[in-house]
Amino acid sequence: MAIDFSAATGAPDEAGETRNVRLPAAAPVLEPGAPTDLELMHGVQAEDPEALSALYDRYNGIIKALILRVIHNEAEADDLLQEIFMEIWNQAKNFSAQKGKPLGWMVTLARRRAIDGLRKKQAYARAGERLQTETEQQPDAWVHNATEEEISFSDTRVLVRRVINTLPVAQQEAINFAFFRGMSQREIAAKTNTPLGTVKTRLELGLKKIYDGLKELRDEL
Amino acid sequence: MTALRNYEMSFDEFQNQSRLYVIGALEPEELEAFEQARRDFGQKAEDFIGECYSMHEAFALSLRPAKSSDALKDRLMSMVRNRQKT
Repeated sequence: MAIDFSAATGAPDEAGETRNVRLPAAAPVLEPGAPTDLELMHGVQAEDPEALSALYDRYNGIIKALILRVIHNEAEADDLLQEIFMEIWNQAKNFSAQKGKPLGWMVTLARRRAIDGLRKKQAYARAGERLQTETEQQPDAWVHNATEEEISFSDTRVLVRRVINTLPVAQQEAINFAFFRGMSQREIAAKTNTPLGTVKTRLELGLKKIYDGLKELRDEL
Repeated sequence: MTALRNYEMSFDEFQNQSRLYVIGALEPEELEAFEQARRDFGQKAEDFIGECYSMHEAFALSLRPAKSSDALKDRLMSMVRNRQKT
């Protein structure tokens, strides 16, 4: 299954090396004078609703895309999006700039909530069948016409995808299952009918390539 | 267990495990050795794990942003302001 990191052309074979790609910028471009993410997060920590409003405007599209990638349901994604931003508001005091960037913290929080939501659904449904159907039917369900917000992120998305797309499809698939579905190595092995050791190797190789690619991207800034 | 305790993980191996750890893909039986190595490598390990979390951000940024309604934001901000009043 090719995953929606995609737009890949000619992914290398599994033993293939990462292509040497040059990646100019990683962060979304802000308007001149716009507050940084860190400034907004400090505002949220100081209980300024306008700071949360600005963070929401800046990142709701990305956070919702992440949620949709996990749960594939528009209404549930909206509910979760609202809950996640409330949690950002309530938990902002736990954010520390020394441990990472605001977006990373928000994404980690959102991913955890989305995967929790998925697992709750799975407790009530035949998850395997449902997941399979949804994955096959909705890989591009959130694709829509470009908005201003989307355009501001599009360069970043292209660059990150360029790193991801250097991976063989099998590695992308393993990472997709682990990151967006919260699946363990054993679960991935069972779902893809692949030996556990192969799954582990795919994850390790794929994540190392992505990590190195992103590091190269940051180093070039 | 004895074999696990005696096993010393190299930093390269620790880095591989860290990348799995941050996306929750370490198996339960791998966690004990990972946590031991994390303690052994100390701050160097914490710094590396912190860097690995940047992959979360990258995965999210690889997705095409999704649209949500203005009403959703209005509800959220209303909840936030109500909470402030209490």
